[in-house]
Amino acid sequence: MTTSPPTLAIPGQLLGPSSRFQPGPGTHLHEHNLYSSLLGQVHITQPLRAPGPAKRLTKITPAPAPAELPTISVAPSSAGRSTSSSSVGGEESARTRKKREVLPEVGNVVLCRVVRITPRQAVVVILVCGETVLEAEWQGLIRVQDVRATEKDRVKVYESFRPGDIVRAEVISLGDQTNYYLSTARNELGVVSAMSEAGNTMTPVSWKEFRDPETGVTELRKVAKPQ
Amino acid sequence: MYLKTGVTPSASGSAYLEIETSAKPGVSGMKLSCSVHGPRALPRSAPFSPHVVLSTHVKYAPFATTQRRGYLRDPSERDLGIHLEAALRGAIIADRWPKSGVDIIISIVEGDQDRETSRSQGDEVWDMMNALSGCITVAAAALADAGIDCVDTVAGGVAALVQAAGDDSKPSIVVDPIPSEHEKILAACCIAYLPTRDEVTNLWFRGDLPASELELYTHMVEKGILASRNANRVLIDCLRETVE
Repeated sequence: MTTSPPTLAIPGQLLGPSSRFQPGPGTHLHEHNLYSSLLGQVHITQPLRAPGPAKRLTKITPAPAPAELPTISVAPSSAGRSTSSSSVGGEESARTRKKREVLPEVGNVVLCRVVRITPRQAVVVILVCGETVLEAEWQGLIRVQDVRATEKDRVKVYESFRPGDIVRAEVISLGDQTNYYLSTARNELGVVSAMSEAGNTMTPVSWKEFRDPETGVTELRKVAKPQ
Repeated sequence: MYLKTGVTPSASGSAYLEIETSAKPGVSGMKLSCSVHGPRALPRSAPFSPHVVLSTHVKYAPFATTQRRGYLRDPSERDLGIHLEAALRGAIIADRWPKSGVDIIISIVEGDQDRETSRSQGDEVWDMMNALSGCITVAAAALADAGIDCVDTVAGGVAALVQAAGDDSKPSIVVDPIPSEHEKILAACCIAYLPTRDEVTNLWFRGDLPASELELYTHMVEKGILASRNANRVLIDCLRETVE
């Protein structure tokens, strides 16, 4: 019971009972025990303490909240790989650069490029998911009703996106066989980088306009709030 | 047995396996190389899949066996691919990767065959068993290298019921048989086994045994599991070396 989990894990290795840890990425639960499902290093993250002093109890809550357990996860180690092949310089850099492929999940904020637009939707390819650049290109769809949160009936796709724009969006569904469904219905979501018809990079001037700094022409977009 | 991961830089995961069968000159070992590509987007025509779609390809190199092989996959190679897919499907946590496909490509660089003798026609089916067990082990290493979620490390093992030269001698069970070393192979089974789960994901039985001798069947399966446990030890050592 008290043995500490290993620092390195291979698939199928026992990490500890589920009464001590919460399963994180790269682990799986089988018969009240946690096992690794990946090859890599074991990380244990302590749960975040509630900010401020604990409040006086005004109601009866279930005694041990399960969220108090530390989360155990296994991540493929890129640093470990470089030492094993450090004799060959070119190979080493290739191996360390390689990261585990991630998939867009519901709730992720992604960066994507608009490929084509129709009156009902904008077709995009997802390039970045969270912090990681994807190796494969995944196709996504922003439907006209998901472009913004208000006045949905007056949204026009060509006044919101143009092909070539870089858009920050949130994944709302795994979608159908080919497309992820994305939404930009939040202030901080929308077009982050756009080119004007003259071919210049434009700067945002309002929540629905970009301006070309050279020609002074404004174009309509669903602009993301700068962060 | 020699196993190494990360041999193909362009693949997301890869492994190379060499099995030396005997010190006898003229008998080669088996050399397998496996690369895993993906997870990547499914083709547009594919229907929606909430879990990962495995596709396995096993191909003998044209020069791998005494009988030259064609460049196209023949039915026995297809058969190996199907068995391999069944063995791996039990080990992969498929629902971690919705809407994506993984390609597992194995090329058998050198098949395990006796170069001296020309009689090897009947041995081919038994060679396939050994090839499958090697394929399973090397694919498990490549999957772990690719970072695809697995329940356990799966490894293959073969057990066979053999009869020595004399006709009336009692048949015995051997682990990891070499077809050229035995006069007659009565039956063989190839097993894919998960050691920590204690589960068999694929079982392939071939040969003719009297149906009355049920004990013989269980004995062979037990021996197959033993062979797979031995292969698994090599696999785990190799993976530990990769991660350190």
